[in-house]
Amino acid sequence: MIGQVADGFLALANPGTFLHLVGGFLLGLAFGAIPGLTATLAIALLLPFTFGMEVKDALVMVASIYMAGIYAGSITGITLNIPGAPSGAITTLDGHALMKAGKGTQALGLSAFSSSIGGLIGVVVLIALAQPISALALLFQTPDKFSLVLLAVVTVTIVASGSLLKAMLAMAIGLMISTVGIDPMVPVGRFDFGSYHLIEGINLLPAVIGLFATCELIAQASMPTKVGKPESVAKILRPKRRDFLPDWTLIREVGFFTYIKSAIIGVLIGMLPGGGASMASFIAYAEAKRSSRHPEKFGKGSYEGLAASESANNGMCGGAIIPLLTMGIPGDAVTAIIFGVLLIHGLVPGPALLGENFAIIAPMFAALFVAAIFVFLSVIAFGPIYLRLSQINRGLLYAFIGIISMVGVYASSFSFFQMWMALAIGVLAFLLRIFSYPVVPALMGVILGPYLEEFLRRSLIVSEGDPTIFLRSPGSASLLLLTLGFIWLLRIRPALRSKGQNASN
Amino acid sequence: MTKLLRGQILFAFALTVLNTVYASQLLGMDRPFVNGEPGPSFLPFILCGFVYVVTFLIILKEFKAQQNIIAAAETSDNIPRIVILGPVIAVGLTALYILAFVYTGYMTATAGYTFLIAIYFNFERNGKCGASALSSAIIVLFITVAGWLFFVKLFGLYLPLWEF
Repeated sequence: MIGQVADGFLALANPGTFLHLVGGFLLGLAFGAIPGLTATLAIALLLPFTFGMEVKDALVMVASIYMAGIYAGSITGITLNIPGAPSGAITTLDGHALMKAGKGTQALGLSAFSSSIGGLIGVVVLIALAQPISALALLFQTPDKFSLVLLAVVTVTIVASGSLLKAMLAMAIGLMISTVGIDPMVPVGRFDFGSYHLIEGINLLPAVIGLFATCELIAQASMPTKVGKPESVAKILRPKRRDFLPDWTLIREVGFFTYIKSAIIGVLIGMLPGGGASMASFIAYAEAKRSSRHPEKFGKGSYEGLAASESANNGMCGGAIIPLLTMGIPGDAVTAIIFGVLLIHGLVPGPALLGENFAIIAPMFAALFVAAIFVFLSVIAFGPIYLRLSQINRGLLYAFIGIISMVGVYASSFSFFQMWMALAIGVLAFLLRIFSYPVVPALMGVILGPYLEEFLRRSLIVSEGDPTIFLRSPGSASLLLLTLGFIWLLRIRPALRSKGQNASN
Repeated sequence: MTKLLRGQILFAFALTVLNTVYASQLLGMDRPFVNGEPGPSFLPFILCGFVYVVTFLIILKEFKAQQNIIAAAETSDNIPRIVILGPVIAVGLTALYILAFVYTGYMTATAGYTFLIAIYFNFERNGKCGASALSSAIIVLFITVAGWLFFVKLFGLYLPLWEF
């Protein structure tokens, strides 16, 4: 097997294959960084073109888009407070706070470094432990999956800053949005108000565009330039490329254990169907906050929080591919499209794939590994460009964001109705923001809602309506205990401590 | 009661009204366990109840809240009442853009929208009509052509370019 993996790396020495790797990487970087465009869309658009490609070139290109796209979601999140992809949402909390504090170069550098480390660990796990780990993931029953999604939902809500009640309401709004359209289990339309447009549901893309891009456009229009422009950027007039190399002391301050632990959380979450980069980064972030010596810094510009979420979401890339290749189960939207790429070329993902076609798949592993290294190199090459994204003329920037967002929604759905949806969700998100309701739980509600509902109902159907099924399954019970542990550690204990401190004062 | 506090309560009430609109659709659906299984109305039913409880608690909390300290509203040198006027302009222009996109196609709609959004931000910054219009015209050319190249030429996506 080691020889075949080495052959995979050698295949990248072919100039044509290497060009596909670089092209895919740049495409992933562009799509990940531009708000509203995602790695999923980039790979979906690539799908028709893969017909004319050699299978290994297609897989190499898809792998590099995936790695670059997941990383790049954090770039505009840090610089502009608009995550380019949902996976960058949690990074935005600390990344943009650091940007505003005049530490944008270090935030971008550390984000790339952490993504690189996470990506590399993910690929090493993918190569070394694909089959044994996927066998473990296969043991997850439906109640366990429900408890996992519930863990993510609860975690996202309790880590949101500000009022817990408002975070809970925001999450519920997101979940409600996800229920609009055809029911996932029974062919019945819900909450369509008699409109055939609403039967198709509210797609993820307009929801993401509305919650982040449209909302940001509206919010920026309400701020004068002297407020909307990050003051810190003015201090860094001409950043040098070496400014983006994170300080060694900073890397040590975060702690190597944080990178490794977060990457492993990312790999494990990625392996579970329905996991995905957003859930991986949220759970790794919550765990980093729980174990941190400075949890109070989280959400206000914590390097530890930034590193944890970035390591996890790129670590997820390797993990998500494990069940796809070994069991034929895609873990997220991107791996579902990779499933299509494999089928187009006559390869059926499943237990027999690696045994019979390892030589064809090996360049894809190698491409993921090299793309993870490119992630770090890219910030040194393009870092000054990333930073200047926030120095651009506001007229140009927000006109561009408005156009790309709206046209992006149309181009991905060919539906004018989805454009209206993006605007409506943008207005709602703006109002939520004005009244101090966190927007990220709403987004996670939209993303995780379908999984939460499906796993909940399937479990209850199996148990004939008996809710103790979630306690009888050891996996589910462990995850529920973990959820309670997070609630205690992240909300109840800090509240009790601050009450005690107030009483003593 | 401060303006912000009043707004918080009104917004929570508005969310309760929206929840009631959402809940009204549940009346036309089967009850959750009518067939012995959790049906399509199961999760929405839970969510509706949950939202009523949480909004009630938020309203109660806001009523009990002391006078909030409000930061002074941001003001612009060139746009009066920017906190209200700015969002209205942004939402209005985006709504007009979608309408124009439907009836006139990408080119005209994008050129118009880009010009108006750019002139708004540029005028807010420098307060000069002529200079703002000139720089916005350059932005129009750049964004309209770049968008077309990106979506249509590079990725081969269909956009209704001219719809006259």
